[in-house]
Amino acid sequence: MEAAAASSWRADLATIAALMARAKNELIRVPGAAIPGVLAPTIFFLGLNGVFGALTQLRGFETGSYESFIVPVSMLQGAGFTGAAAGVNLARDYEAGWVDRLLVSPAPRWVLLSGNVLAASVRALVPATFVLSIGFAIGVQWPGLDGLLICYLMVVATAAVAACWGSMLALHFKSQSAAPLMQAGMMGLILLTPAYAPLALLQPWLESVANVNPLTNVLEAARQGFVGSVSWAETWPGLVALAGLLVVLGGLALREMRRTNV
Amino acid sequence: MPAIVVAGLERAFGEFRAVQGIDLAVEEGEIYGFLGPNGAGKTTTVRMLTTLLLPTGGRASVAGHDVVSEARQVRASIGVALQEAALDPLMTGRELIRLQATLQGLPPVEGRKRADSLLERVDLAAAADRRVGTYSGGMQRRLDLAAALVHEPRVLFLDEPTTGLDPVSRKTIWEEVRALNDDGTTVFLTTQYLEEADQLADNVGIIDNGRIVAEGTPSELKAEVGNPHIELGVGAGAVAEAERVLAEIGKLLPPKDGKRVLVEVAQGSAEIPRVVRALDEAGIEVESLELVRPTLDDVFVDKTGYHLEKEEAGEESGERSPA
Amino acid sequence: MSDLAATGRVVRALGARSIRQTFRRPQLISPIVVFPTLLLAIQTGGAGAGIELPGFPPVQSFLQFMLAGSMMQSMMLAGNSGGIAFAVDIEMGFTDRLFAAPIPRFAIVLGRLAGTAALGLFASIWFLAIGLIFGADIEGGVPGALLAMALITASALAVGGIGAAIALQTGSASVVQGLFPLVLVVLFLSSAFFPQALMVEPARTIAEYNPFSFIVEGVRGPIIAGVDLTQTLEAVTAIAGIIALGLVLSARALKHRLRVG
Repeated sequence: MEAAAASSWRADLATIAALMARAKNELIRVPGAAIPGVLAPTIFFLGLNGVFGALTQLRGFETGSYESFIVPVSMLQGAGFTGAAAGVNLARDYEAGWVDRLLVSPAPRWVLLSGNVLAASVRALVPATFVLSIGFAIGVQWPGLDGLLICYLMVVATAAVAACWGSMLALHFKSQSAAPLMQAGMMGLILLTPAYAPLALLQPWLESVANVNPLTNVLEAARQGFVGSVSWAETWPGLVALAGLLVVLGGLALREMRRTNV
Repeated sequence: MPAIVVAGLERAFGEFRAVQGIDLAVEEGEIYGFLGPNGAGKTTTVRMLTTLLLPTGGRASVAGHDVVSEARQVRASIGVALQEAALDPLMTGRELIRLQATLQGLPPVEGRKRADSLLERVDLAAAADRRVGTYSGGMQRRLDLAAALVHEPRVLFLDEPTTGLDPVSRKTIWEEVRALNDDGTTVFLTTQYLEEADQLADNVGIIDNGRIVAEGTPSELKAEVGNPHIELGVGAGAVAEAERVLAEIGKLLPPKDGKRVLVEVAQGSAEIPRVVRALDEAGIEVESLELVRPTLDDVFVDKTGYHLEKEEAGEESGERSPA
Repeated sequence: MSDLAATGRVVRALGARSIRQTFRRPQLISPIVVFPTLLLAIQTGGAGAGIELPGFPPVQSFLQFMLAGSMMQSMMLAGNSGGIAFAVDIEMGFTDRLFAAPIPRFAIVLGRLAGTAALGLFASIWFLAIGLIFGADIEGGVPGALLAMALITASALAVGGIGAAIALQTGSASVVQGLFPLVLVVLFLSSAFFPQALMVEPARTIAEYNPFSFIVEGVRGPIIAGVDLTQTLEAVTAIAGIIALGLVLSARALKHRLRVG
C-alpha cells in the first residue's frame, strides 16, 4: 500500500515535471516568443518612470527614487502577463484538442493543472529578471538579499495566481477569445494598488479599492527592500494574500478542470 | 465479461439529443466498428466512453469500470486516438510518446523503452527526433496511434483514424489495427467509411441521428438486406419513365444522384436481359449497367433511407445523400 | 466629375464595410476602449496627486488633464487595429478582389481609413463623455469639444495611414499586431500622460520634439483652458506631417503589394 502510494506520488511529480518541460518549448523553440512577455513590463517600467518620476517630490513618498518605487510593480506586471499567457496557451491547447490527451490519461486533474501553473511561475523569472536588470542599470537601489528574495517569491507566486486565473477562464470558456479578460483581470488587480504612489497619496476611491485588494499586500512586500528595510511585518501580509488567492483561484481552476466533461 | 457495455446511453446538449439511448456490448478481443455519417453521434459516444463527456442518461462501463463513478480506472485501462490528432507541433515524436508514457504513470526507464519500441513498430524511428509539426498527416496518425498504445491498454478507442488519409496510409493503419487485435486488444473504431468497417470489424453498429439502427457482423447485416440490385445509368430526363417500367420487374430502390435507377433483382444476373429488353422496348437508352451485391451502404439505406457514401468525385464521404 | 463621383461611391462603400467590420466585433473594439479607460482610471487614481507639483498647469482635476492622453491612446490603438484588419484582408485575399476591380488604388486605402477614423471619433466622444460624467469640465465649451473630436479623428486618419502602409508592406497581421508595444512607447515619450516640463530625462527631451506631444496639447488645450490658435495650428501641422508620411509610405507599399501580389 505504501509502495503504491509512493509510486503514485512519483508518477504525479514526473507528470508535473514533464508538463513543465513541454511548456518551456514555446520559449525555446519559437523564435522571439519570449519577447512580448519581456517587452511589455519593460516598456511600462521605463515609460512610467519617465512620465511620473517627478511624483517623488510630493510629501509622503518614502523614496526619492521613482524607479526603485516602481520596479516591483513592473516585475509583478511581468508575472501577471506570464501567468495570463499560460491561460491563453491552455485555451489554445484546448481548441487544438491537446487538452483531451491530458484529460483522457489517468493523471489526477490537480497534477495536470499544477504543471501549467508551476511552468508559469518559473517563466515569470525571465521578465522579472530582465526588468530588474534594466532597473539596476538606471539607478534602482539594491534591496538587500532578503528584499530581493522576498520580491522574487512574490513574483513567482503572483505568476501562479495569474496562471490559476487564466486557466480557470480558459477551461470555462474553452476558447482563446477569453484572452483579453485574462490579461485585463490581472492588469487591474496589480494596478489597483499603491502602484503609482503610496497609499496616502492615492485618490480616495483608489485608496479604498487598494485597501481591500490583496495584491496591495503583495506589492508592499515586494517593494519593501527597494524603498527601505525588510521586516516580517511587511512580509507576512503578502504571503497570506498570495496563499488565499492561490487557494481560491486554484480551487476554481481545479473545479473547471473537473467539469470539462459536463 | 464484455470489454464495453452500454445501456440506454444518452447525451443531450440543451434541447438537442445527440445520443438517444443506445445499447451495445463489445466482447473482449473484438473489433467493433461504429459506422455512421457526420453528426450521427459517433464522436459523442466515444467521448462518453472515454470519460471526456458525462452522459446525461443511461450507463456505460469500459474494461469493467463505470465511466462515471470509476472514471480514473477507465482512463488507466484505455488508449485513445481521437478524431483530431491532438499533437503538439513543437515536440518531437519521441518526446511526445515519452510524455504520454509519463501521463500513463509508467516509470521513466520503462516508458523510454516502450516509446522506442513503438516508434519502430509504427515506422517512425527515423523521424522520431524531428518535430511533429514537420510530419505528414499519415505520420501524425501513426504517432497518435503509437501514443495510444504506450501503456498496453486493454481497450483501444479509435475515432475516425483514417479520415483525411491517402489510401496507402489508410491501409497501413488498417494493418496496424489488425495486428493489435491479433495481440488481444479490444478495438472500438468509429468510421464513416463503409470499406473500413467491412474490412476490419468483427461486429458493426450503425448509428444515425443518435440511435443505433442496425447491429451485427458485416455478413449478417448484408444478408438482412437481401437481394442484389441492378444499377442502370439513364439520361437525367428518363429516370421517372425508367422507374415506371422497372417497377413491373422488381422492387425499386432509391435512385442515386438523379441519374441512376436501382432495381432489386432476386435472381441476380439472370434478370439482366429482361431488364434491358424492357427498357429498350420503352425507348429508354441504357448508358451503363452494373450488378451490385449488397453492401453496408445498402444496409444503411435500408435502415435510414439515405446513402452513406456518394460515388461522385469531389464529394466528401460521410455526408448523407438523400435516397 | 463623374469619375470623382464614382470614386466617391467606392470610397463610401469600402468605408461603410470598414466601419461595419469595426463595430460588429465587440471583442475588437473593447481593447481599444476598455484598456485605455482602465488605464485612465488607474492613472488618475494613482498619480492624481501630481497636480500639486509646482509647474503643473492649472487644471480642475487630473482627470481633466488626462482625457486628451486617453483619447490619443485609444486613437493609436485604433490605428493599429485598422492596420491589422487591412493585413487580414490581404492574407484572406480580399484585397486581390479590390485590386482586380476597376477602381483607383487609393480608394482602397481611403476606404479602410474610414473605419479607423470612425473609431477615432468614437473614442473622442467616449472619453469626453466619461470626463463629463466624472466631473471634468470642457473649458472650451462646445467649440472646444468639437475641436478635440476633429483633431482626434484627423489623427486617427493619420495614424491609420501608417498602419495601412505597414499592412501593405508586410501583408502580415501578426507583424502589425507585434507593433502594439510601439504605441505605448510613443505615448510614454510624449506629454500624453504628464506635463512635458515635469517628465524625467531623457523622456522630457524626446517629448519636447515628439509630434504626438503637439497633437496631445492641441487636444488638451480646449479641455483644460479653451481654444488656442497657436496650439491648434501646431497640432494640425503635426497631423499633416504624419498624414504626409503615411501617404508616402502607403504609396510605396501599394506599389510593393501590387508587384509581389
